[in-house]
Amino acid sequence: MNVSLHGRSVVTRTLMWSVLIFFLVVSLLPFVWLVMNSFRTNYELETAPLGLPSRLSFENYKSAIATANLPRLFLNSVVVSVGAVLLNIAVASLASFVFAREIFKGRDTILTIITAGVLIPIISFMVPYFTMITRTHLYDTLTSLILVYAAINLPVSVSLITAFMKSIPKELEEAAIIDGCGFNARFTKIILPLARSGLATSATFCFIYAWNEFVMAMLFTSSESSRTLQLGIRFFTSQFITDYTGMFAAIVLSMLPTVLLYVFLHNKIISGLTAGAVKG
Amino acid sequence: MKRHNANRYWIALYLVPIVVLFGAFFVYPLFFNIYTSFMKWKGSSEMTWNNFANYCKLFSDDTFLLAIKNNVIWALSQGFIQVPLAALIALMLAREPKGWRVMRTVYFLPNVISTVAIAMVWVALYNPQYGFINAILKLFGGEPRNWLGDPSTALAAIILTTVIYVGYFMIIILAAVMDIPKELYEAAQIDGASTLQQELRITLPMVRGTIVTCMTLAMAYGMRHFESTWLMTGGGPAYSTTTMGIMLYLKMDALRYGEASAAGIVLIVLGSVVIVAIRKIMGNKDPMAEAAQ
Repeated sequence: MNVSLHGRSVVTRTLMWSVLIFFLVVSLLPFVWLVMNSFRTNYELETAPLGLPSRLSFENYKSAIATANLPRLFLNSVVVSVGAVLLNIAVASLASFVFAREIFKGRDTILTIITAGVLIPIISFMVPYFTMITRTHLYDTLTSLILVYAAINLPVSVSLITAFMKSIPKELEEAAIIDGCGFNARFTKIILPLARSGLATSATFCFIYAWNEFVMAMLFTSSESSRTLQLGIRFFTSQFITDYTGMFAAIVLSMLPTVLLYVFLHNKIISGLTAGAVKG
Repeated sequence: MKRHNANRYWIALYLVPIVVLFGAFFVYPLFFNIYTSFMKWKGSSEMTWNNFANYCKLFSDDTFLLAIKNNVIWALSQGFIQVPLAALIALMLAREPKGWRVMRTVYFLPNVISTVAIAMVWVALYNPQYGFINAILKLFGGEPRNWLGDPSTALAAIILTTVIYVGYFMIIILAAVMDIPKELYEAAQIDGASTLQQELRITLPMVRGTIVTCMTLAMAYGMRHFESTWLMTGGGPAYSTTTMGIMLYLKMDALRYGEASAAGIVLIVLGSVVIVAIRKIMGNKDPMAEAAQ
């Protein structure tokens, strides 16, 4: 929009900037405070909660890594998130290909049912999920989390990837059919490579969800060997008893992967969100 | 469809994985949940028909009624405070002030950080001894309080933390505002319409559908709220912050699976009621059709 603010009254502009800056502060301040205090000592925090770090010391980070078994938690979270993304994208792209590029009876009905899955409050499924996971002997395994996270993200992935695959011009595929491309080759050689960008957006959403998920991890795991990072930092409260700044350092480390992903891919994430993740 | 698709076997094969995975984690749980909500079931293999007893018990339990009330407060605050705030920021950013792209990115940032991390940061900010909020209050001569530990302030204190997520709906509304043809504004300016008039007469009517969608989603999220309250107060003190999701979890933890299932069904039904109701009030669009787009 080219309607600039030049020439608007000073009052309007001041008001607008105060609102914008206020919400910038709200969005950032908690994290700034957290990061700052992760470099301070507990004594400094308790005597002057608003103070600045006096020096750049990584003591808290060292103690966080040592106390909380962070490397193991990290590894578990990586396994779960990557596993969930791979399974989710494989299943969703196969289905999206036929939804987007084929005509068959019941197609729109199935697609509607799957995408309407976003309307289901997943936490209402705690009882059936828990029963299913324990009855299949998947309780306290990373596999249970991979399956659940991949499944929960299907509605979002299918609507994003289907929309993306629909936008690929028919001509490319028709030329390939004339050249003797079969059903599978059309999927693997033509559509899948062209849909890379859509797959990447869905994968990013799925990864962020899986990395950050807490409720199912709490429900399905009990031992430390299958604990994810989110569950781990939940237990920090008891592990660090009075070492708040050490706990802050551990929380900062747990946020790094998704924050870095966002720093590099924020345009993709934002456009994916407005393209259909929410609408459908 | 008269003509059979020659690839129908391949099509069926490509759909097998999603039918299995979606069926296992969306369709089966729904029917299983409905079934067990009518059962007396302690989590073992023994299940006996219990009629509507689980539901009767829930609706005669004052704590569960309080949970419903809290969820309604959540839904209303998300739909009628959070979304309008998001819309306000979106309207401002759509005028493309200096640095609007960076601001857009920053506003959304908290949405990629885990609820656990954010909840723990808020608990620290609210901490009565070393927390940021009480420190600021003291600076202005206010009385420090234990915001999350006091039943009269805990719910409001938790709801207030969600303001950090304002960027989520802002991004969606902003995209809709940016899609409005510029010509509309140019014509309005020629006619001498003020900024405020342009926003009220052009922008808001044009993005009404998107705002209603956002309100619907925000209220649906409010009805299913669980995670950050669970992490910050566990539903306390004295159940003052409890929600239907928390009651469900507590019942399950106490091995009252039948009642927990019934709580799950109430959660789904009330969530759907909210979605349908807000659509009826704000417009006639069908949310299912919208979701399928």
